[in-house]
Amino acid sequence: MTSEPQATAAGAPRATKSVGTIDARKYFGTYDERRLRIKDDHLARVLAGEDFLLFDGAMGTQLQARGLAAGELPELLNLTNPDEITQIHRAYVEAGSEVVTTNTFGASAPKLGDAATVEEVFSAAVACAKASGARYVAADIGPTGSLLEPMGTLPFEDAYELFAQQVRAADTAGADLFIIETVADLAEAKAAVLAAKECSDLPIFCTMTFGEDGRTFLGTTPEVAAKTLSSLGANVVGINCSLGPKDVAPLVERMLPWSSVPVMAQANAGLPRVEDGVTLYDIAPKEYCEAVATMLDAGVTVVGGCCGTTPDYIAGEKDLIAGRTPTPRHVNHDFAVTSSQRLVSIPMGHVGVIGERINPTGKRRMKEALRSGNYDYVMQEAIGQTDAGAQVLDVNAGLPEIDESATLRRLMADLQGVTDLPLQVDSAVPETIEAAVRSYPGKPIINSTNGKQETMDAVIPIAAHYGCALVALTIDEKGIPQTAEGRLQVARRIVAATDAAGIPREDVVVDCLCMAASTDQRAPRQILDGITLVKRKLPGVRTVLGVSNISFGLPFRPLVNATFLAAAFAAGLDLCIINPMQQRIMDVVNSWRVLTGEDQSAQYYVANYATRSDKAPAAASAGGFGAKDAPAECPPHATAGAGTQDAASSDPAAQAKAMVLSGRKGPMPELITQVLAQHDVMYAINQVLIPALDEVGVRFEKGTFFLPQLMASAEAAKAGFNTIREANAASGTEVASKGQVAICTVKGDIHDIGKNIVKMLLENYGYDVLDLGRDVDPQVFADAVVEHHVKLAGLSALMTATVPAMQDTIELLRKQAPWCKVMVGGAVLNPEYAKMVGADYYAKDAAESAKIAAEVLGK
Amino acid sequence: MPAVPTPILKSYEVTSVDRKEVLRYLGYRGQEVTPELDARLDDAIARCLSIGKPRSSLATFDIAGREELPDGTPQVDLKGTALVLQGKSMRRHMDGAVRVGVLAVTIGMGVERELKRLSLTDHLGQVLFDAAATTMVERAADAAEATLVGMAAQDGLYTNFRFSPGYGDMPMTTQPVLLDALDARRRLGITLSPTLLMTPTKSVTAVLGMFTTPQKSTHASCADCFCRAFCNLRATTGRTCHD
Repeated sequence: MTSEPQATAAGAPRATKSVGTIDARKYFGTYDERRLRIKDDHLARVLAGEDFLLFDGAMGTQLQARGLAAGELPELLNLTNPDEITQIHRAYVEAGSEVVTTNTFGASAPKLGDAATVEEVFSAAVACAKASGARYVAADIGPTGSLLEPMGTLPFEDAYELFAQQVRAADTAGADLFIIETVADLAEAKAAVLAAKECSDLPIFCTMTFGEDGRTFLGTTPEVAAKTLSSLGANVVGINCSLGPKDVAPLVERMLPWSSVPVMAQANAGLPRVEDGVTLYDIAPKEYCEAVATMLDAGVTVVGGCCGTTPDYIAGEKDLIAGRTPTPRHVNHDFAVTSSQRLVSIPMGHVGVIGERINPTGKRRMKEALRSGNYDYVMQEAIGQTDAGAQVLDVNAGLPEIDESATLRRLMADLQGVTDLPLQVDSAVPETIEAAVRSYPGKPIINSTNGKQETMDAVIPIAAHYGCALVALTIDEKGIPQTAEGRLQVARRIVAATDAAGIPREDVVVDCLCMAASTDQRAPRQILDGITLVKRKLPGVRTVLGVSNISFGLPFRPLVNATFLAAAFAAGLDLCIINPMQQRIMDVVNSWRVLTGEDQSAQYYVANYATRSDKAPAAASAGGFGAKDAPAECPPHATAGAGTQDAASSDPAAQAKAMVLSGRKGPMPELITQVLAQHDVMYAINQVLIPALDEVGVRFEKGTFFLPQLMASAEAAKAGFNTIREANAASGTEVASKGQVAICTVKGDIHDIGKNIVKMLLENYGYDVLDLGRDVDPQVFADAVVEHHVKLAGLSALMTATVPAMQDTIELLRKQAPWCKVMVGGAVLNPEYAKMVGADYYAKDAAESAKIAAEVLGK
Repeated sequence: MPAVPTPILKSYEVTSVDRKEVLRYLGYRGQEVTPELDARLDDAIARCLSIGKPRSSLATFDIAGREELPDGTPQVDLKGTALVLQGKSMRRHMDGAVRVGVLAVTIGMGVERELKRLSLTDHLGQVLFDAAATTMVERAADAAEATLVGMAAQDGLYTNFRFSPGYGDMPMTTQPVLLDALDARRRLGITLSPTLLMTPTKSVTAVLGMFTTPQKSTHASCADCFCRAFCNLRATTGRTCHD
């Protein structure tokens, strides 16, 4: 499902009053401002943070009291019992609620099913709310109940469509604003806010729900929610449900500095308990209002109640607000970006590190990884950079021979699984940038726009619409200016455009572009002066630089890079794009932070450099590829007698075999290096690793090994193969692949353990594995098989419910890739099922899949 | 506003799991294991126990009646909820019961995220962690069951054991209504895919019967009862669930 054309309208700066959006028809062209449709002046003042606004309390509690059965759809009562719903609303209005919230929390198409349409429910619900005489009617929008990709199976655009349908229905029915609430997933909140923003011009209130640990179920913090959602264009952000007001107060206070818009709180009346069959809440109105008062003091301006609250609570809050004026707020203007788990802020005077490694340009292994679709190497680079101290990761998938947009989105989804760092979307294609930032759960950086009119027209509206930070390259139609002054001129033009689009200055990061010192020795001075000029003449903007170009053509490049980076920091550089796994570069960053006081009391520096000297350079503390998780492994000489008699032998080939059999990967690189010193590569593979793996297979079949042992052996063998590959790369030779196998877990299923085991084993046996992941659409799989002309496909399903998806995939393969043999496996499969779904082979386990591959593709 | 819960929300401390149980999920049959693999398994279990946050939502509903649908499917009807229990398994499991205990339990999205991370970085680690997590969520379900047993005992009722949708002929389509009846999507963060797969995947839903007399399937002896670590019935009331 994709969004309709009008749904991709861009615009909407984050100022509260003169809010505008871009005319959809002029997208990618010039844009004009359009005001939010705000019902009256009071609401306009509320959105500017100048007035308080009082919502209502719980709907569910009231319905429960009237005998709604557990698990029933309360939304249908709008149609069947409108008078009762209006009564509930009216009681809140009489208690002082300015806003009543429609009874539509679960009114989405999948939940309503055949019972009613979304339009019918919203129409009735808004009518019920209006009949109460409330000043404003807030259309309530709750979560979909399904988990979005990549953790779940619901595509972002499908969630968007569900919300868009609710938004249109509510707008048509005459609601005055949207309240998107009780959301735990930042991606889902983003889909809902975008739907509201793109399909209506009514104000958007959005609250997420947090646990006692200060995070949502999916790990989002209040700071992340506030920064991301207010940047995206929510007009009020906040917290509701889950906790009582005393527990909500400190969390909502954490939101205040990071929200550029008013902040709201709707807490529960404490925790429910059942007494004589009646549900009671443990916090009375008086106590509730005391906690709300502390929130108002801190700067919260929109309040109401959630589960357990009644008109009594609202009446108390009304008294609280009466005669009070909003507390002035200090909004933080640090450079700040977010992932769903983490807010990274770089205050003025601090320096930040953006990892540059996930970019195929000039990197053979990265190119190979992106082309083959095997992202293990990419994930390793991400983890390495994270461990080495990167604060943001640049992601670039720009290779002409691959689908850049699809690859970038898949990479970003996978990267969220291995790192909590915010990402920087690096592409030259505006459509690719938009697709990537749209569904990204967080506030990313866009890399980049430049001073060319065409690029600015295309990229700046995307950054404004999605609330992203933006890298601005000082290059325009005439090329890169030679001088610092020339760079400033280009930056000035770009910043004029970002200002006009409503992008805050702190979100604009100017890149003065690094040129090689070897071709023009005057260039470095101009770059440094450019940084200083931009910072001085365009107050509020930040600067960034990819430094490694400076040393192009020179020997011992890291030294030149490091010296230049130090100079750039002194010139005022805020962010550097570097390889954080290079010790020398991070040495500059870490020592600079001491000199500026960013590293307070030099704590980090002392902790990490106390034992360092030129005589004792650090053992690569950086780039410990997941080494953190691996327990200490025995060195080769310590393995004698640890299970197999071969280990005692001094022959490295025999030792390597023994290590594979006992599943010890630690000693493998050293042993295989020794083998390669005496023999050629084919010997190491065919006389050492493969026979060991065959033996492992036999033991597994006999039951002498159980699954973890099989996998530990596969890991050890993989470590050996990696050593061989590195040796090959060094000598420029390559071992021919035995052929490619495409694998996936089918649509609707997210169990990927079995598929991953198969992948490990097939790779060990020398097959290239194209791993499409889990929950894979049949067409996506078939396309990959066709594109790579794959001769063997492996499909996995764990649940009966997903066997039909397996059958669909096979049918599609038969039509579009008739040459491709298909093997299937997974908990629910058996030989009969395999035949029924039309597979060629049934693989009862991973060892079997290797045998099938040998039969189809050759040994 | 979301529907208000009558169900009880509980958190549990699960500080250990039975290592043998984890090994059983891994298909272990007495093979000789290297110290490295042993250490990795211990590490996976320890990490799972520290990441996992067992929480449950529980409710009881009186049985309103029993009927047979036009297509012959037996159905147990409950009071005060849209939840119905269909199938022969449920007819048998609830035979003679006067009330039904319903539970949903999860060890949380943190475990799910760790599984996802391992699936991208460490496949053996994923297998070990998955087995530890399965063991842990079953342990958490034991704890939730113990709570229901205690609730039954307070009213002088005896329980049988928990039974989950998908087993026997209890339809998977029970899942959405069961989760809504416990408000489990909002309170526990359990989500449901169109294929009725729960995420976090390490979640359990189940029902048990409550009876006026002890059943053959009532937890018979405290000595080897799997709920023992979570049961304080004897301490608080001086009797066991089967006295």
